[in-house]
Amino acid sequence: MLIRKRALLGALLAAVLCLPAGVGALAQGNDPTALLRDAVNAYSKYSYVGQVQNTDYGVKNANAVLFRIEHRAPDMTRRWYLAPESLFGDSIIGRGDTSYDIDPRAHKIIVTHDDALDDQVAMDDNFGLLLHNYRAVMGPDDNIAGRRALSVLLVNRYTGETVMRISLDAETKLVLQKEKYAASGSVAHQMRFEQIRFTAAIPDALFTVPTSGYSSTVGPGHAIPSNDLTAVVRTAGFAAVGPKYLPDGFLPVAGDVTDIKSVRTLHILYSDGLRTVSLFENARGAAVDLHEFTVHDTKVRGGSAQYVEDGPTTLLTWSSGSRHFELVGELSRDELVRIASSVSAV
Amino acid sequence: MMQHPTNDILLDYIHGELAPARDAFVYAHLEQCETCRADYEAEIAVGEMLRANAAREERELPASVKAEIWKRVREAQPSVWNLLAVWARPAVAIPVAAAIAIAAYFGTTYIGPQGAPSIEASYYLQDHADMNGTIPFSDHNAENPVELENAAAVDTQQTAVNVQPASYTADANP
Repeated sequence: MLIRKRALLGALLAAVLCLPAGVGALAQGNDPTALLRDAVNAYSKYSYVGQVQNTDYGVKNANAVLFRIEHRAPDMTRRWYLAPESLFGDSIIGRGDTSYDIDPRAHKIIVTHDDALDDQVAMDDNFGLLLHNYRAVMGPDDNIAGRRALSVLLVNRYTGETVMRISLDAETKLVLQKEKYAASGSVAHQMRFEQIRFTAAIPDALFTVPTSGYSSTVGPGHAIPSNDLTAVVRTAGFAAVGPKYLPDGFLPVAGDVTDIKSVRTLHILYSDGLRTVSLFENARGAAVDLHEFTVHDTKVRGGSAQYVEDGPTTLLTWSSGSRHFELVGELSRDELVRIASSVSAV
Repeated sequence: MMQHPTNDILLDYIHGELAPARDAFVYAHLEQCETCRADYEAEIAVGEMLRANAAREERELPASVKAEIWKRVREAQPSVWNLLAVWARPAVAIPVAAAIAIAAYFGTTYIGPQGAPSIEASYYLQDHADMNGTIPFSDHNAENPVELENAAAVDTQQTAVNVQPASYTADANP
């Protein structure tokens, strides 16, 4: 019996060890899951220069940003903005998990550190969550920026809706175009390379952050996200409440506690591996300042609530006693209200 | 057999006054029971109507009464010298000076209705985007650039303080 168990374990181990070779073989036949895995890794393997357009589609308007990009693998990137006019000449230099937002007109640099970008374990977990909740299906081949592209559709296993279409460079598997769809089927976000050339000959000077004549400011700090959510909730210092309803496949995946203007704020991110929603709460009744947005009224549990839209992202805010909540995400407004209405003590 | 919440319980639920377990029960029940859902909607509608009515009554003072009030206010206005004499009294001058000092100390920070500062919406939008960093193919992920517009819009006065999650211990909860 013991021998039989060992033989079984041995066979399983052999199967696991052979998995990479098997995946590689499938990739040649365009296995969409293997292509997605290659796409995630391509950014740190290939260097390139190009031009990218990012467009966010709101309910009535769209916002587009156009920039030049120089990327030297594994993690040096410079983006130089061409449009809109208000951003023309601005650039962002990314060096590992630190980014420098450079405004040459104001002679100002904002330095931001994002530890989440180092968290390989969380990235792997979330990729597993994506594959659990979405079926990857090959779509028709495409041609983007003069290169042949393979397209992969991500279909939600619960609703059957296509949530994202990713077009990968056939040779390197780099993401050349990405379209995210709203629940209605309309395009909510598109990223697209207008031009791209793969080259390793990118001079160091492009990634040098200017110092002379610039004032440097540390950007808004963000606590290190943790997937130990029990510990995060304990750190909040108040009895946290959470949603009883989440769309199918959503789980709490990360959280942090941050003091903003001396107000301790708990932030929990829920995701199904592709879509996300954030719940912020504070126990000091610190309201959100919405003056930069067009504010709409709605109801949460019969009480008054407001929401604003920033492209495809909606921020819904409401209060309950001294507790103040913000729910932020790209889900439909009805879905956000439903989640908000289910928020009560965990 | 399904147990329906009483009207009192529904009212407590609407006002968020139920204990967590009871609150969860009522929420789940309302999701399934159309009869109770209708009662719940009706209670909300009645509350809204009462509130609207109260607000209307507060606003709608007869015009003749308002005119009379304003007339008396204007008649009662003191002279400039009377005003200066009032402001110079220690009982008024000291608290006013203290209020000015406190206002100067807190600068331009907006104090919300409950004494807490308000936090700009851009902070929440940016923090949401930042925490998406580990989500595959997210807009903030490495394949796709950060939106400079959002990064620049965040008020730098709104500096956040990291709370180290590494030190999570049982006594971390104040």
